[in-house]
Amino acid sequence: MEYFLHILILIGIYVILSVSLNLITGYSGLLSIAHAAFYGVGAYVAALLALKFHSPFLANIICAVILSGLLGAVVGIPSLRIRDDYFAIATFAFQVITFSVMNNWVSFTGGPMGLPGIPQPAIFGWEITTHYDFLIVIFVLCIITLWISHKIVASPFGRVLKAIREDEIFAQAMGKNVASYKVLIFVIGAGMASVAGVMYAYYISFIDPTSFTIMESIFIISIVIIGGAGNIWGSVLGAAVLVILPEALRFLGMPSSIAANMRQIIYGALLVIFMLFRPQGFIGEYSFRK
Amino acid sequence: MLIQVLINSISAASVYTLIALGFSLIYSTTRFFHFAHGAVYVSGPYFAYLFHSLLDVSLVFSLPLAVASSSILGIALEVFIYKPLRTKGSTSLILLLASLGIYIMIQNIISMIFGDDTKTLRSGLVREGLEFFGARITIIQLTIIIVCFVLLIACWILMNYTKIGNAMRAVASDPELALISGTDPDRVILFAFAIGSALAGIAAILISFDIDMTPTMGMNALMMGVVAVIIGGVGSIPGIALGALLLGMAQHIGVWKIGSQWQDAIAFVILLIFLLFRPQGFLGKKIKKANI
Repeated sequence: MEYFLHILILIGIYVILSVSLNLITGYSGLLSIAHAAFYGVGAYVAALLALKFHSPFLANIICAVILSGLLGAVVGIPSLRIRDDYFAIATFAFQVITFSVMNNWVSFTGGPMGLPGIPQPAIFGWEITTHYDFLIVIFVLCIITLWISHKIVASPFGRVLKAIREDEIFAQAMGKNVASYKVLIFVIGAGMASVAGVMYAYYISFIDPTSFTIMESIFIISIVIIGGAGNIWGSVLGAAVLVILPEALRFLGMPSSIAANMRQIIYGALLVIFMLFRPQGFIGEYSFRK
Repeated sequence: MLIQVLINSISAASVYTLIALGFSLIYSTTRFFHFAHGAVYVSGPYFAYLFHSLLDVSLVFSLPLAVASSSILGIALEVFIYKPLRTKGSTSLILLLASLGIYIMIQNIISMIFGDDTKTLRSGLVREGLEFFGARITIIQLTIIIVCFVLLIACWILMNYTKIGNAMRAVASDPELALISGTDPDRVILFAFAIGSALAGIAAILISFDIDMTPTMGMNALMMGVVAVIIGGVGSIPGIALGALLLGMAQHIGVWKIGSQWQDAIAFVILLIFLLFRPQGFLGKKIKKANI
């Protein structure tokens, strides 16, 4: 039962991550390979605050969102000057630099040893300890993320994002300040991703840089693409499929050393297959074509 | 000390140049970020390890065989994945995403077969390097620098003085126009993949003699190549060599002054500066991807 709850919690975390990336990549057409960086910033901010200042859970979430949002603005700014694959490479650079800081600033982040012993969170006296408690909190956060995302994409703001995705120069010609829209969606997406990071840090109670590598970024991209770019529910579906599918390998009796590689091979293969035959993913509305 | 830093930078720059040359050949003809180039790169020393250490083929035969195998891997990717994608009119982002998927697949297949631990092609003791103006240069560093220099010249001649080189530059500048004037872009791209992948294989085999191999070494190596290409300017062979040299020197001065763990960060900060302020690099032409 604990295992089952664990899977649901993981799905919840990846729903938050992929929905927030979908806002950036699926709706605005900005392919970002830096999402694990925002995820990691959230986790590290919460862990450091909790360990060094024993600050409360909700305050940590707010700090993480603000700091990650600021980083999001910084990552989003190159999109004003460069685009497509060049922009993707710029986000890649931010991902690597963030990872370097986590891994090498040993006195502050613990370096490769990570940060162990993150205390269990409490909301107004309610201590979140069991898998059930965590599932409830993450479920609520998922709902909030989905609600905000839905509000964004259904609003005039969201329509401008789609316009930028389809034809940036046209959007500009219609008098929209394309630059501020792009940076703002990055701030929002990065802030949301950091919430997933905060939850991950508290849930596992130990973090190290290997959870926030480029591979994690690619995994989140795979969820968005396979689920369907430009559709929030696609990301929910994608997160469920890509988290559950590799778990099924366990039941086929695959040894865990191979299972880790198999898991990555599966989503790599899925990414290639979907690009070949269904670039819009399961239920997506955007297939990276102009 | 300064001379030692210089030697180390030139040797690192040589490897970056080889990766960058291969990447740039493919990028300039296909116009997409071939991430799987990093996986083709890793495949080189692992093929060599397979032939030499597991199948007992002598080193003289197994190294060329390994380079050929990497080249064939690159060709296979083009034939079975990228060409069908291009035929469907996929954008460069779709190709980039597919290549990310391929990269992950190949890297994990290698680590499943050979394990994640460090493998080596070297046998015997590590020999002490040669004395050179008070600094040391190892035999393998010297080999890397010479091989790189020879291949750099060879590539330059290939691109500027042969028929296929002309065709490659034609496709790079305008695929449709090349097609109209009787050059088949697909054939040219296939050639670019063959040569580019072989160069990646050579670079990786050379580096694996110096610092051994792990399945995950490809992404980082590829990115250093990409940084060199972007600094130097896509499609310019002297630019690539210059970019690689600048990158190698910046990194090794960084190693000397602030510590080796910040090498990656230094490289990517340089990349960001170039992407933001001079995306066409030192010697490249203005590109449409920037300053829309």
